[in-house]
Amino acid sequence: MNATGLLNALTEPLSYSFMQRALLSCALIGFTNGFLGTFVILRRQALLTDALSHSLLPGLAVAAILVGLSPGGLLLGGLIAALLVALGGQLVARNSRLKDDTAVAALYIIAFALGILLLRYARVKVDLVHFLFGNILGVGDGDLLISYGAALLTFGLLVPFQRPVLLTMFDASVARACGIRTGWIEAGLLTLIVLGLVASLQAVGVLLSLGLLILPAATAYLMTDSFGRMLWGSALLGMAGATAGLLLSFLANIPPGPCIVLVLAVFLGAAYLLSPRHGVFVRFFRGRHLHEESLRRWAGHEGHDHDLPGGS
Amino acid sequence: MRAEAHAEPLLVVEDLTVSYHRVPAIHHLTFSLGRGHCTGIFGPNGAGKSTLLKSIAGLLQPETGRIMIGRRELPKAAPLIAYLPQRESVDWDFPVTVRGLVEMGRYHHVGLLRPFSEKDDEAVEGALSLFGLSDLSKRQIKELSGGQQQRAFLARAWAQEADLYLLDEPFAGLDRGSAAGLAGALRTLAARGKLLLVSHHALTEAADLFDTAILLNGEMVACGPTPETLSPRNLECAYGTAVYSGGHHHAHR
Repeated sequence: MNATGLLNALTEPLSYSFMQRALLSCALIGFTNGFLGTFVILRRQALLTDALSHSLLPGLAVAAILVGLSPGGLLLGGLIAALLVALGGQLVARNSRLKDDTAVAALYIIAFALGILLLRYARVKVDLVHFLFGNILGVGDGDLLISYGAALLTFGLLVPFQRPVLLTMFDASVARACGIRTGWIEAGLLTLIVLGLVASLQAVGVLLSLGLLILPAATAYLMTDSFGRMLWGSALLGMAGATAGLLLSFLANIPPGPCIVLVLAVFLGAAYLLSPRHGVFVRFFRGRHLHEESLRRWAGHEGHDHDLPGGS
Repeated sequence: MRAEAHAEPLLVVEDLTVSYHRVPAIHHLTFSLGRGHCTGIFGPNGAGKSTLLKSIAGLLQPETGRIMIGRRELPKAAPLIAYLPQRESVDWDFPVTVRGLVEMGRYHHVGLLRPFSEKDDEAVEGALSLFGLSDLSKRQIKELSGGQQQRAFLARAWAQEADLYLLDEPFAGLDRGSAAGLAGALRTLAARGKLLLVSHHALTEAADLFDTAILLNGEMVACGPTPETLSPRNLECAYGTAVYSGGHHHAHR
């Protein structure tokens, strides 16, 4: 293929309106969910979020039974189902011997099974595969509206409240001692994360929606020691990965959902190996470097700050 | 009690009882402390040292009594309090530098959206230099020694302009050099009119570290200048008897 041919191959997808719509949608949810992913990672809620993504299914099924496949109904159904599982898990854990991980896991797998059964009773013919893996090329105006809404709410809330949210995530008890209402912040974060999951359903489906949240954030976490850079870097990575994955899937004629997740996985793999400060290679090869060695000694709990020469 | 000699105590605790699941952990504590003291909280495991600190920080609801800080009750007094958590409860991998940590102390001064003013920056710089952290300000918080980490949290409290410092076992896991550095930092703070309340489980060198002491055993055993408070008689009373837990039977670590 010559240069013009390559250029044509790359720009061809942009000439289809369904593709333009899909790209816009991918850019939006990639950016929003990448941003939200930072909060998931730093609060160590990756597995809880996975549970929530699965528990969307019965909500989608009930919505499909009651109102058919309208995006608004699916949004509301998914949101309610996931929040019920999250709150129900807390309630069960608080009132029984079960710990919260068991309680949430039990509830989400029950919800998932229920969802698969309920889908059989939907008024319209619904393909389970569509819900499980998404269908980005079928993005409609309603889906785009939900993506815009999720982005607007996420940035409209988290950018102004960045400082109290940061305090809460870093140390909830200290934040509470400062008079911050950490309960509200945690509930708000959870709601936004579920909203992000629902918004990404059309693109990647229930089973892969976790990827858009945690892969870019995990990548950024390995690359930087600054909260702000992690936040926005993760958003940019999410956007880049989602759009690149979609284009690749079109060119190679493979399903877009897995393609998007795998492009994000390549980012993470590269950071895992090559990150200048936290990468595996650096640790392995620079392990005997004197400066690194002394740094590690300082980082350990046996401090020696009294004999640091000028502290550098 | 020596603290009563001060014209106006900073911290007044009256008849404080705090319970976990209806089992009281501390019973009817009453004491007051003025500015400029470094106060150690002593007692056996389960005596309520952490419980007392957490309830003053507003993390636990009192069952009886009240806590006044600078004549104000919580939550109004919250900006005056700096609570330093135990080291294990901090996520040291969190993407924040030493400077970023100290800046967090200014958040309640700057509010939600206002950028940092010159005054805020000065407060951050001042806190960093007071605790000998200026050269380390760009380090991620894991790249500090244990003593430096404690000082970084003290610097955050200083930037917050807190008056009452609550420290939960800050000396745990520090080697001698780091402990000496932390003790020096605590003395600096007391000399500048702050009140420090520090839970501590070793009794050796207590009088060097703390000018006042509170000895707990579920109940108040003694409170006052360290040598008198930690007298053999009082220690026998605190450590020689089972921790009082209101007639309930419950295990202590």
